[in-house]
Amino acid sequence: MDFVQVQNLCKNYPDATRGEFKALDNISFAAKAGEVFGLLGPNGAGKTTALRILATILQPSSGSVRIYNFDVTEQADLVRHSIGFVSNNTAIYDRMSAWELVEYFGRLYALPADRLYPRMEKIFRTLQMEEFRDCPGAKMSTGMKQKVSIARALIHDPPVLIFDEPSLGLDVMVARALQSIVMDLRDQGKCIIYSTHIMREVERLCDHVAIIYKGKLLDTGTLEELADRHEQNDFEELFFQLLTKGDKGHFDAKPPVDLGMRIRTASTSSQGRAL
Amino acid sequence: MNWSHVKWIFHREVRDQLRDRRTMFTICIFPLLLYPLMGMVMLQVAQFHREQHVSIGIFGLENWPSDSPLILESSDPSQIQWKTLTVDDSIGVTLEQFQSVQTQTNSEVKNKSTESYIVDGKAAEKLLRQVHCDAVIWVPPGYHNSISDNPLVILSNQRWERSQLAIRLLAEKLEGWHLSWIRTQLAWTELGTALVDPLAIRQLDVSRPEVKRALVWTKILPFVMLIWALTGAFYPAIDLCAGEKERGTLETLLCSPARRKEIVCGKLLTIMCFSIGTALLNLASMHLTTSIVMAQFSGLGAIDMVASLGPLPLHSMGWLILLVLPISAMFSALSLAVASLARSTKEGQYYLMPLLLVGMPLVMLPMIPGVTLSHGTSVVPVTGAVLMSRALIDGEYGLALLHLPTVIAVTLFCCFLSKRWAIRQFESESVMFRDSERSSVAQWLINVWRQREDTPTCNESILCGLLILVGLFFGRFSLSGMPLSWTSVVQSTIVTQLGLILAPALIMATMLTRSARKALRLHRPRPLEIMAAASLAVCLHPTYVAFAAAVGNEYKLGEQTTSMLMQFDSIISSTPIWQVLLMLALIPAICEELVFRGFLFAGLQRKGGQVRAILGTAAFFGLSHGVLQQTITASVMGVMIGWIAYRSGGVACTIAFHLMHNSISLLLASYSSRSVNSPHWLSWAIEQSDGHLAYTTTWRILSVGIAITLIAWFATRESVFSKRRKSVVLNDLYEQQMKLTA
Repeated sequence: MDFVQVQNLCKNYPDATRGEFKALDNISFAAKAGEVFGLLGPNGAGKTTALRILATILQPSSGSVRIYNFDVTEQADLVRHSIGFVSNNTAIYDRMSAWELVEYFGRLYALPADRLYPRMEKIFRTLQMEEFRDCPGAKMSTGMKQKVSIARALIHDPPVLIFDEPSLGLDVMVARALQSIVMDLRDQGKCIIYSTHIMREVERLCDHVAIIYKGKLLDTGTLEELADRHEQNDFEELFFQLLTKGDKGHFDAKPPVDLGMRIRTASTSSQGRAL
Repeated sequence: MNWSHVKWIFHREVRDQLRDRRTMFTICIFPLLLYPLMGMVMLQVAQFHREQHVSIGIFGLENWPSDSPLILESSDPSQIQWKTLTVDDSIGVTLEQFQSVQTQTNSEVKNKSTESYIVDGKAAEKLLRQVHCDAVIWVPPGYHNSISDNPLVILSNQRWERSQLAIRLLAEKLEGWHLSWIRTQLAWTELGTALVDPLAIRQLDVSRPEVKRALVWTKILPFVMLIWALTGAFYPAIDLCAGEKERGTLETLLCSPARRKEIVCGKLLTIMCFSIGTALLNLASMHLTTSIVMAQFSGLGAIDMVASLGPLPLHSMGWLILLVLPISAMFSALSLAVASLARSTKEGQYYLMPLLLVGMPLVMLPMIPGVTLSHGTSVVPVTGAVLMSRALIDGEYGLALLHLPTVIAVTLFCCFLSKRWAIRQFESESVMFRDSERSSVAQWLINVWRQREDTPTCNESILCGLLILVGLFFGRFSLSGMPLSWTSVVQSTIVTQLGLILAPALIMATMLTRSARKALRLHRPRPLEIMAAASLAVCLHPTYVAFAAAVGNEYKLGEQTTSMLMQFDSIISSTPIWQVLLMLALIPAICEELVFRGFLFAGLQRKGGQVRAILGTAAFFGLSHGVLQQTITASVMGVMIGWIAYRSGGVACTIAFHLMHNSISLLLASYSSRSVNSPHWLSWAIEQSDGHLAYTTTWRILSVGIAITLIAWFATRESVFSKRRKSVVLNDLYEQQMKLTA
C-alpha cells in the first residue's frame, strides 16, 4: 500500500520582486510502507516545501497529496495524526527538558497517561536519551536535540515519518546513529520520506529516490533503475549529470511515475528495535 | 475547537514564560520593585525639602504710608525676606537709573488693584544682580501722600524661577495690604468696611473624603494600568510568536494535531494571563507604596497632600480589576496578531511603538477634562471602559449600569476582531513563513506592472483609500475657512471630488489593473435594481435623519462648525436648485461611488472578503467626511450602500442610492432655508415643524416598512457575485471535462 501519494503537486509563492515563484512544478511520486523514500536535490530545489506540504504546514497550490490515504487539504487533522515530522531546523524548546517536551506532544496527540509514559520510557531507552532526559533544551548538543526531535515525532507511533535533512550539522558518530535509527524504523514497516543532499546517505538508506531541481522532478526510481537508465554507477556523478541536464532544460520528457513498479522490496521483518 | 489542545498549549506556554528570567523580571519583578523604590526616593526628597525663600528689595521705604506699614513681621509670609535698600552710590543705583529702566523696558503689566507697575526687561536684570534680590520695589517720593498718582515700580526677571515666585508672593502681599488700606480709609467714613467684602460666601464640599481622595487616582490609575496591561501583553506575545519563529519551534507546533485557532487560543490565554498579572501587580504594588508613603507624609505634616491624594480606596481596586479583564483580552489579541507579523524578536520590538501610538489616544482621551461616560464615549474602545471604571469608582452606579451593555459589547466585539485577525495571521503562509526579502523598488514596480489583474489587489485598494484620506486632510487645510459664496463651494467641491477623491482611484485603476471598467465595478445597469436602490434611499431617509439628529445630540457640533453649516445653508438657499443638485448631489454620488464602492470595494472583496469590503469601504467613506458627526452617520450609511454594492455587483445602484439620498437632504435643507412649504401633494409625508421641513410620523413608520421590504427584495435576489462564481465553477468543470475527454 502506498502510504504517501503525491500527484501533480504544484506550489506557487507570491514574490514581491520575482513575481509569482514556482517552488514546486508538477511533482509526482509515491512511497509505501517499509521503505525509505529519498527526496534529493540541491539547496533551494523545493525539498523542504514539498515536505512541509506533506506535513500539512503549507497548502498545495494544486495537485493532490495523500498520506495514509488521507488528503492533506481536506483531512489535515487525520494526516497530522499519521505523520511524524523531523526537520534540521526543527528546534526544541530551550526552557523545556527532553522529557517534558515529548510528554507535551504526547498530550497534544491525546495519548492517555497509561499509554504515554510507558511509551516515553521505551523511546528514551531505545534512543539512549535517559542520560539527558531532564536536561533543558538550551543546554543540549545538536545530536541530543535531533534525538529529542525524533522522540517527539515517534511518540504517537505514526505510520509515516518525514525527515527533512536530519543529518545536517551532525558529526559522523551522531549521523551514523541517526541512520541506524532510520533503518530500524524502516524495518518496523514505517514509511519514511527522507530528504537530503548527501549522496552517501542516499546510497546507505534509500530504497527509492526522487531527484528534484528548481521545483521540477528530474527523475525517480530505485538506485539501480537510475543507474541503468543513465548508465552511471557512481550515484554522486549521476546526480551531478542530472542537475547539469536540468540546467540545460534537457528534461522535457521525464519518465512517467509508475507507482506499481518496485525493484527492491523493503524488508518488513521486525529485526530492529520496535518503537 | 479541541479545548484539550488549548489547555496543553496554555499550560506549556505559561510554564515556559515563568522560566524566562527576562520576561519575569520585566513584567513581574520590575513592578514590585519600581513603586517601593519610587516611594523611597520621594520620602528621601521630602525629608530634605525646604520652603524656598525669596529676597525682595525695597527702595524708598521711607515714602510708604506710615499709618499702614508694608512690612509686618507677624503677618508676612515666612518665605519673604525683606531687604531695605537706599538709593546711594554704595550700590551704584540712582534714581535716574530706575527712571531709565522704567522707560527702557518694553513690557509693562499693570496691576489694577494696587495701581502699581511690574516692570520686566533685560535692563532690570543688571540692577537685580547688583542688589542680590529676586525682585525689587521702588516706592517713589510722595507715595504716602497719593498712592494712586505715584505708581510703584516692581522689577523682576521672569527667566528666574525665584523671581517668578517673588512676584507671586509680592502680588499677594500687596493685594492684602491694599484691602487693609481700603478698610482703614473706609473706617474713617460713614460707609463702613462692609463695602470691601459685600459678598459673604461659605463654600461647602459635599463629596465624601474617600471619594475625594480617589479623584486623582481615577485619572492616573486606569492610565497606568492600561499601559502595563499592554506592556504585559506585548512582551510575551513577541516571545510566543516571533521568538518561536526565530527559534524554529513554531513549525513543530504547526504540524502537531493542534489546529491554528487552538494554537492561537492557547497562546492568547497565556498572554492574557501575563497582561492581567502585570497590571494587577502594578496596581497592588502602587497601592501598597502609596499607603505607606501617604502615612509617612502625614507623619511629616503634609496634611494637605494626604487629604487630596490619600491612599487608594480598596473598592476602586475592585473595579479596576474588573476593568482589566476585557481590556487585557483585547490588548492580548491585538499584540498576538501584531507580533505574529514579526520574523524575529528584534523585529517584534519595532512593532511595539506603533501599537502604543495607536492605543495611546484612546487611553489619553478619558484624561481630558470634561470627558465623561456618555452614549458617545461608551462606544469608543478602551476609552469607554476607562470611563466606566471611573464612574464606578466615583460611585455613579446608575450611569455605569446604563452604559455597561454598550461598553461590554464594544469591548467584546474588539476582542473578537483582534482574535480573528490573530487567527488569520497564523493561517497565512506568507506571514508564518516569510523570509527576509531585499527591497528593490524598481523590480517591485516592474512586477506590479507585469502582474496587473482585472481588479486591484486588497493592498492596492487600502493604499488608495489611505492616499485619499491623506489628500483630503491636507486639502481641507488649504480649502478650510467659511464658504463665502456659491463659487467657493463649487471650487471646493470640484477640487475635493475630482482632484482628491476620484483622481487617485482613476490613476490607480489605469496603472495597476488591466481593466479599468472591472476595477471600478462598472457594469451594465439593471433598471429594476436601480429603481429599487433609489426607492430604498427615499425610504431610509427619515431613519437617517432621526439617526443623524441622535448623533448630533450626542456629539454636539462646535460653534464654528455650526456657523459654517448655517452659512452653507444660506448659500445654497440663494442658489438655483439645479446647480445645487448638480454640484452637491450628482458629482459626489458619481465620484465617491466609483472610488469607494468601485475601486476600493473591488480590491477588498477579493478572495471572499465581502464583509471586509462592506465594512472597509464604509470606514473609508465615513472618514472621508471631515466632521465627526458626519463620519459616524456616513459610516453607518456606508455599510448599507456597501451591501447594495455587493448584492448588485456594481456601482450603478449605489450611485442611484447616493444621488437620491443627497438630493433629498439638499432639497429639504434648501426649501427649509427658503421657508418654502412642502407641496400639497406631499403633505402626508412632509410637514412644517419649527420653521423646518420634517417628515410626518405616518411617513416615518411607513417608510421603515417599505425599506425592510426593499432590503428583503435585494437580499433574496441572486447576487451578481454568486452568479459569476457559479459561472466560473461551471467553466472550470467544463474545461476539466474537456481535458478528461481529450
